[in-house]
Amino acid sequence: MEKKDLVKFTKEELLDLAKNLKIIGRYAYTKEELVDKIIKKYRALHRGERTKVTREKKLPKIIEKVKRVITRGRKKKIEETPVVIREERKIEERPPRPYWEAPVEPLQAMPQPQKEEVSVAVAPREEQFVFPRAYGDTKIVLLVRDPWWLHAYWEINREKEMELRQTLGEDLYRRSKHILRVYDITDIDFDGTNAHSYFDIEITGGADNWYIDVGKPNRTWCVDLGLLIPERKFLLICRSNIVRTPRFGMSEITDEEWMSFEEDYWKLFGVAGGFGLGSSPLQVKRAFKRRFREEISSGAPWSLFSFMEKKKERRFWLVVNTELIVYGATEPDAKVTVQGKPIKLRNDGTFTLRFALPDGTQHIPVEAISADGIDKRKITPIVSRRTE
Amino acid sequence: MKEKGYLALILHAHLPFVRHPEYEDFLEERWLFEAITETYIPLINVFERLLEEKIDFSLTLSLTPTLASMLLDPLLQQKYLRHLEKLIELADKEVTRTRWQEDFHQLALMYHHRFTNARLVFAEKWKRNLVSAFRKFQEAGKLEIITCAGTHAYLPLALHRQAVRAQVKVGVTLHQELFGVRPKGIWLPECGYNPGDDEILKEEGIKYFIMDTHGILFGSPRPKYGVYAPCYCKSGVAAFGRDMESSKSVWSSIEGYPGDYNYREFYRDIGYDLDYEYIRPYINPDGTRVNTGIKYYRITGKTEDKLPYIPSWATAKAAEHAGNFMFNREKQVEYLYSIMHPRKPIVVSPYDAELFGHWWFEGPQWLDFLIRKINFDQKTIKLLTPGKYLEIYPKNQKLTPSMSSWGWKGYSEVWLEGSNDWIYRHLHKATERMTELARENNTPHLDGLKRRALNQMARELMLAQSSDWAFILKTGTFTSYAWRRIRDHIARFTYLYEQVKGKYIDENWLRSVEEKDNLFPNIDYRIYAD
Repeated sequence: MEKKDLVKFTKEELLDLAKNLKIIGRYAYTKEELVDKIIKKYRALHRGERTKVTREKKLPKIIEKVKRVITRGRKKKIEETPVVIREERKIEERPPRPYWEAPVEPLQAMPQPQKEEVSVAVAPREEQFVFPRAYGDTKIVLLVRDPWWLHAYWEINREKEMELRQTLGEDLYRRSKHILRVYDITDIDFDGTNAHSYFDIEITGGADNWYIDVGKPNRTWCVDLGLLIPERKFLLICRSNIVRTPRFGMSEITDEEWMSFEEDYWKLFGVAGGFGLGSSPLQVKRAFKRRFREEISSGAPWSLFSFMEKKKERRFWLVVNTELIVYGATEPDAKVTVQGKPIKLRNDGTFTLRFALPDGTQHIPVEAISADGIDKRKITPIVSRRTE
Repeated sequence: MKEKGYLALILHAHLPFVRHPEYEDFLEERWLFEAITETYIPLINVFERLLEEKIDFSLTLSLTPTLASMLLDPLLQQKYLRHLEKLIELADKEVTRTRWQEDFHQLALMYHHRFTNARLVFAEKWKRNLVSAFRKFQEAGKLEIITCAGTHAYLPLALHRQAVRAQVKVGVTLHQELFGVRPKGIWLPECGYNPGDDEILKEEGIKYFIMDTHGILFGSPRPKYGVYAPCYCKSGVAAFGRDMESSKSVWSSIEGYPGDYNYREFYRDIGYDLDYEYIRPYINPDGTRVNTGIKYYRITGKTEDKLPYIPSWATAKAAEHAGNFMFNREKQVEYLYSIMHPRKPIVVSPYDAELFGHWWFEGPQWLDFLIRKINFDQKTIKLLTPGKYLEIYPKNQKLTPSMSSWGWKGYSEVWLEGSNDWIYRHLHKATERMTELARENNTPHLDGLKRRALNQMARELMLAQSSDWAFILKTGTFTSYAWRRIRDHIARFTYLYEQVKGKYIDENWLRSVEEKDNLFPNIDYRIYAD
């Protein structure tokens, strides 16, 4: 392979070739560097003669083009040991955790694309993408699910883990437990020590996320991910963002300008909640919790669901129907009526009609008149259906 | 006599962005097609007639940026017409096939008429651009169109302000491009509100948003008028709370109007009922039976033996239900006015637009009757938009609403549970990466290719954030498409991120992605830089 041949290619074509030669870091190189790397790699492959022909698929055009040039350069040798180009299709070394895998149900409605995608050979493929388990960070993120529950997810990167092992020593590290320390920091400028209270959750099963039952609406929360070391010492790994659970219930605070009385509040509440006019506060409170379980908004059976062809469950059932096909042929330019209604003929003069056939007797006069109006033919099938 | 209060009917029209140029036919693209035929066109027809007959109305419509983008996409418009042609062909065959069954025959004729009318409205009348139809009603002063977060992201779980801001900015910008004005209001996806998000709305000049009942009722200080008057958040943006009583009568599949036995049964579709060979050309190309939209039965009762649908009975019911709804609102408003006067209450009733017509076939008729009855049969209530209510009553109580959503159980559980909680790790990381690159490249003079890559990253991130995917994952069935969408967008985002970082952008591939996920053509990645 000659340098002067390669420099004629565009950078994209070179990247193509580089990809097939598995040159790592190729995107970062300049064109010159790429050419050098390709030549080097190519020669290395040849010298070793450790390659076999495993080219299973027809190569994309661009590779063919490159190959032709290469062949021109070192024809004989090429024929003995062509470049190894393996399809880069890593198949499933997926970890056992389920969430990043496609759902098990068969992928319905996904026929093969009809046209080839642009530059299919080089382009990254979405199908090959695997959601990373972690991004190399050390962090914990807190989300609010509802007035009583939080959700946390986290990751600890390798450096941090190494650091912890070193600090504690292998033995102590192993005897320590990963925990979440959940702080109630309502109205506090939290410095790690001044929370109203906290509780610990031991993380089990190598989990990387957790639902936390804080059980208290209208409070502010922060969570530390850390190690609980024997002798009850806590070693912080990372601290979460701060969140607040929403209030659940009437605010005790009233506003002078917009004074409102509790009685009026519940009156209006009763209407708003759809519990009728003038319901009592107790009724309203009880009914209100219930109403959250009703599907009267997003998630109602008709929302996006209804587009997804979700069918009702049925018990065992049987349906039988009959249909009748009436077909025939005549001169292509003839005029044909069936039961007095004109029908369209196909170009060759044939026709087909399909009827749902209910119980009873049907007379089906079919009449054809020639284009010049001279000839006339009429045939009348009579069909009856009876159901027992 | 003057009215005693107001009714704000709000239709939330939304579908996630589904567009697959790489496939000839794609099952999920039918969501849009069905909604156009069954909801958007019937609603446009109702509004059009009211306008012609000079009957006043005042409604609010949130048209989400993803839906608007799809309605304006030439490829989807083309595909829709093809879909509609097939439907007309099928309806034509049905007219013949049902000749010996009078009930069905009449219905086949009705569908044939509806579909040909849809073609007329879509192709001839509006030249494929239904957004311009809605714009016309807004300009006529009958419709207040509000915007929504860019891709309908569930904002309380967005974590980063940048993500919320970008979603809001994209919605507002697109609205301005399409309607020539800034939106007065915004529909927060799933009514998901998190205290503080209103500050971002304020930055974009938004005057109000809609939230669920308990968001206001549990607000602090205690709301004097409950949900029957708006409240100003700290930022000065107004929050309108949903009225549950009026919601229930329409929403609930059991107690609500749509469950009436005379109404059309949604689940009996000829796509499932008819002989396979006959229906084969009109269902999914892979041979799976799907809904065609032609349905011949009425709900009938709690039975599987459904009886034929009789349009005139259903119409009579729709009129009756409209009368009932109006009567209940009159009573409600009188009661509220007795507590609140001299302030006139506003009853806010939001519904998903696709309920009308798609699920509740008679919904558009009901709406038509309701508007007419309100005009002619009573004087207690008047239709009004939230924007206009704020003009009448600019002074309102200040409070901090409570975090809430209109999802099942009222908070975030629908979008944050075992089946879908894993997505946030990736969405949040992508937001951080987007912010990082936006800040590194915060200049208007960026080289073309890199700018394109960064803009596309913003599109991919936003598409991954659509609340619809998390919602579908939660439903537990038909999850593969949603999973695939999240994977594809995160994958495209990640590859682009690596390419921008690696200083080599694969232009061919970028172009292919731009062609697929082509919404928000004027997006500017620097919305993430703030």
